[in-house]
Amino acid sequence: MMLILGITTSTSQVGCAIGGHEGVLGSVNSARGRRHAETLTPAIEFLCRQTRVELSEISAIAVDLGPGMFTGLRVGVAAGKALAYARRLPMIGVTSLDLVAFPLRHSPRRIVCALDAGRGELYHAAYRRSPGGVERLTEPVVASPEELAADLSARADEMLLVGDGALRYQSLFDSLRRVEMADVGEAYPLAGSLVQLAHARALREDWINPAELTPLYLRKPDAEINWTTRDGVSS
Amino acid sequence: MTMSNPGRGRILGIETSCDETAAAVVQRGTSVLSSVVSSQVDLHARYGGVVPEIASRAHVDVLVPVVAQAFVEAGLSEVSAGGESAIDAVAATYGPGLVGALLVGVSAAKTLALAWDVPFIAVNHLEAHLYAALLEDPDLEFPLVVLLVSGGHTMIVLMEGHGQYQVLGSTIDDAAGEAFDKVARYLGLGYPGGPAIDALSVHGDLEAIRFPRPMAGDGTYDFSFSGLKTAVVNHVRKHPEVTAADVAAGFQEAVVDVLVTKTQAAARSVGARGLCLGGGVAANSRLRERFLDVCLADGIRGFLPSRAMCTDNAAMVASTAWYRWQSDGPSPLDTGAHPNLGLS
Ligand SMILES: [Zn+2]
Repeated sequence: MMLILGITTSTSQVGCAIGGHEGVLGSVNSARGRRHAETLTPAIEFLCRQTRVELSEISAIAVDLGPGMFTGLRVGVAAGKALAYARRLPMIGVTSLDLVAFPLRHSPRRIVCALDAGRGELYHAAYRRSPGGVERLTEPVVASPEELAADLSARADEMLLVGDGALRYQSLFDSLRRVEMADVGEAYPLAGSLVQLAHARALREDWINPAELTPLYLRKPDAEINWTTRDGVSS
Repeated sequence: MTMSNPGRGRILGIETSCDETAAAVVQRGTSVLSSVVSSQVDLHARYGGVVPEIASRAHVDVLVPVVAQAFVEAGLSEVSAGGESAIDAVAATYGPGLVGALLVGVSAAKTLALAWDVPFIAVNHLEAHLYAALLEDPDLEFPLVVLLVSGGHTMIVLMEGHGQYQVLGSTIDDAAGEAFDKVARYLGLGYPGGPAIDALSVHGDLEAIRFPRPMAGDGTYDFSFSGLKTAVVNHVRKHPEVTAADVAAGFQEAVVDVLVTKTQAAARSVGARGLCLGGGVAANSRLRERFLDVCLADGIRGFLPSRAMCTDNAAMVASTAWYRWQSDGPSPLDTGAHPNLGLS
């Protein structure tokens, strides 16, 4: 029996779940309280106890790759890599936006996921339902909420807008005619979705080499941006 | 005894507080089985200092390979065929340092401890620097006075026993290493500044320019280095004919002079039996020379850790963890990063 442990820390929420072909055996999600690093390790310990699964029975580690808040994201990715290394397990990485879209897979609308990127920006990507899940239609990008609102207002199809970023800038999207807002319960990537998506990939042995697994940042570090700009000016 | 079963006392240490990713296996606090350091200095050089976000990203990418290398160099395999873990505890630096960088090491270390079912031990980075000397010379006797100088900290610490510290003095503004970086940048010597100034000073006359000795002779053991760069800039503006080598030598002498004089006074006042250097600036050759002169003059046993043990490494973290484990037991798994952690 294949059991997968999934970790998601790319937003303000921290989550972990264990699941396999029977679906999700258990999941822990913490929406508030202590910070990611404080919360995650005890949460994994608790989850194992509650599901009566030993870490030695886990056969793959899935992590939320982001995009998201850099510091939190790295807590989960570092923990996932450490766990995979310690128990010599294969890894699977899933984009945070894919995780937010997955629970909405029964909607016939175009699903637009928008997560809070801080600094007045959003990470977003669009999806449509496909057999057994969702299909991503656009590459994840970072953009201003105004840009996304302009994109959406130019479209003729019915849309479902979801994510903590969408909620944060809700006033910009409320006036759009073909856009319906999903509620706060669907606004964050869930570890349960992660193990479900990862299980399908594990069956195809669609692993990622832990050494090559790196967070999806979508933004360069500030210093690098400043450096490039400075180069541009001086040359 | 608060210690859970210490086994062979073999601890994996992890250090990610700044721009070095390091892992080491140390047995019973003194026997270094391996010590691996992956420096990011090349990644930060063009910016003239450590960029926190770049440091954190690099830690995530290289930490597991560095840990794996520490096991290889120790001649150990992580888990035996029978499923038994090769190490008895996992330790990591949890502060002080860059919060994003610390979180990578703490998060990975706690997870490794959970996966191998061994205790986790959180280590204070400053305490680890103090233990670097004891790790190489276990015969050092208390009370010890340690001058800890790096890019992040400058302090004189009295160590009266294991886990018993008193900070006698520290910098009120810039760390000594920061002063080296700033002056090196001004002189166009690149980054990191310490080794560059050290190398150039050899060709200069250390008495050609007398820069001020901030806070010298004020009766405290505190330091101030932020004004030195301005003094250097003003001097060069007034005397454009000076050579960079003379400026470097004069500046280095001013810093070293204050550090050594205050440390000597502190050691005398507390009746120290040993005097140690720690931190990245402890690799400075002029500081090492003057430091040994003081020990010789005052008849105090002096110890200069190897250059590898002065700069950030994980062997000092694993060594410190051994003593922490015995006195305080393991740390909870909800430990986070403490970027402003002090020494008490
Ligand atoms: Zn240090």
